[in-house]
Amino acid sequence: MRAAIIDGKAIAARMRAETAAEAAELAAQGWQPRLVSISVGDVAAAELYVRNQQKSAEGSGVAFEARNYPGDISMEQLVGVLSGLNADPRVNGIIIQRPLPAHIPVKTLQKAVHPLKDVEGMHPASIGNIVYNDLALGPCTAVAAVEILKSLPLKIEGLDVTVIGHSEIVGKPIAFLLMSLGATVTVCHHMTRSVAMHSRAADAVFVAVGRPGLVTGDMIKPGAALIDIGINRVDGRTVGDADFASCAAVAGWLTPVPGGVGPLTVAILMKNAVLATRMQRAHYRAQYENTEV
Amino acid sequence: MTAAIIDGKAFAAKVRAQVAAHVARLKDEHGLVPGLAVVLVGEDPASQVYVKSKGKQTVEVGMNSYEHKLPADTSEADLLALIARLNADPAVNGILVQLPLPAHLDSDLVINCIDPAKDVDGFHISNVGLLGTGQKSMVPCTPLGCLMMLRDHLGSLSGLNAVVVGRSNIVGKPMAQLLLGDSCTVTIAHSRTRDLAAVCRGADILVAAVGRPEMIPGDWVKPGATVIDVGINRVQRDGKGILVGDVHFDSALAVAGAITPVPGGVGPMTIACLLANTLTATCREHGLAEPVGLTA
Repeated sequence: MRAAIIDGKAIAARMRAETAAEAAELAAQGWQPRLVSISVGDVAAAELYVRNQQKSAEGSGVAFEARNYPGDISMEQLVGVLSGLNADPRVNGIIIQRPLPAHIPVKTLQKAVHPLKDVEGMHPASIGNIVYNDLALGPCTAVAAVEILKSLPLKIEGLDVTVIGHSEIVGKPIAFLLMSLGATVTVCHHMTRSVAMHSRAADAVFVAVGRPGLVTGDMIKPGAALIDIGINRVDGRTVGDADFASCAAVAGWLTPVPGGVGPLTVAILMKNAVLATRMQRAHYRAQYENTEV
Repeated sequence: MTAAIIDGKAFAAKVRAQVAAHVARLKDEHGLVPGLAVVLVGEDPASQVYVKSKGKQTVEVGMNSYEHKLPADTSEADLLALIARLNADPAVNGILVQLPLPAHLDSDLVINCIDPAKDVDGFHISNVGLLGTGQKSMVPCTPLGCLMMLRDHLGSLSGLNAVVVGRSNIVGKPMAQLLLGDSCTVTIAHSRTRDLAAVCRGADILVAAVGRPEMIPGDWVKPGATVIDVGINRVQRDGKGILVGDVHFDSALAVAGAITPVPGGVGPMTIACLLANTLTATCREHGLAEPVGLTA
């Protein structure tokens, strides 16, 4: 094996410590960052995520409140709840846990979150900002994957990057984040004729498809970075989209699954909470600072 | 081999005729006449020409055209008040604020005050995000025009390698999204790309949108590729000012399978797509089926 295995847990721990320092500073100024998590119906389905986020929030100095609403709540009632949270200056970020009951379309709900409180980076305006190079609140998994690349000793400007998978919340935002950083990005997907041709030409490969073993060592340029965002269950084990053994023999850097991008995703959520708080403070000041009372 | 030349003028006329037919049908069946409001601030001569041309073509396809010409020193508050009025006006289905705005006005702020459903330029940040996440949106006119020409010439684009040169907000980025939406494998190249020639040579579809005269020579073009040249550059040649694209036309013509000329390629499609977008916005507003072949 030659690849350096990227320790996502260690990067996440460093990030939490940074976030905690920034959160403490904001709290001292009366702006304690606070997240509200909304789950609907069956609590158990989202429980693991909520528990993880709660723990990460504690480590990041971010206040966290988990709310659960009954499964038969109407869309109108939920949008009403969100309007209340949007208007509440003590709430700085809103997380909408999936899965949602069938009668609650997730996109409609995401659009109802105020863009300044959109810590998950799922509002169209948040994605639009990313496309326009304003790297404010981005989707957590995509930002986490890009942060991992940034942690490596590679110059991203001019880097040839191939992104495999063009999902709306991972593949595409990764492509746009990297493009903003000056990389030459190629996006592949299930209609791509030869993924290997594109991946072999790349200095860094991101894979986010959800198919175990999709990327093998012979698809990677020797010494390239491989960032694996897939999470698949195979024979009771969690594995990524890359065939770990063959890729580790060729790549220069490789993220493990679990322990790579995953741990960083929640840390980014907390970082977004601090960022959102700061954006809201700036917005508040711009609105009211010069108001005579 | 000599490439087929994609006649943007003729294709734009076809698109306008389709729009006109839909407009006539909307009037007959639903009593609706789509309305496009164009806001021009100041007296930039190029903008005046565009606005005049837009107004003329809007009326020609049977839509209502509302022109709002404001003095160059218009305040932000007055401009935003006008936009609020147009947002609320049921006769107005599309709003276009002609850019560039005078320096004292914040164009991002102004554009983001337009109702996204009436933002027929597709520049509102929500429309950018909706396109970025593959949802229904208003699509910027120039890349929409390029997409229509590609579909018309190639049929299905699925699985083709597309290279977009240039990552501008109004052409390169939305173009990449649209090509992904049509299942191309998309590479976005730009000024920081290390080996642009090699990247371009891999393209079945090559879209050039950088604004540098004739920077892409024929030997960067894969034999048989479809080349869409979005660049419009004015250069001096033999003592005359002429328009050239981002692609060196004569050398590319010998290699490509098809190519758009400059002028007369992508250019004429932009206003045709503006009209198509106004029609689409009208249909959506009234819960009617979207015009087939005129959307992304």
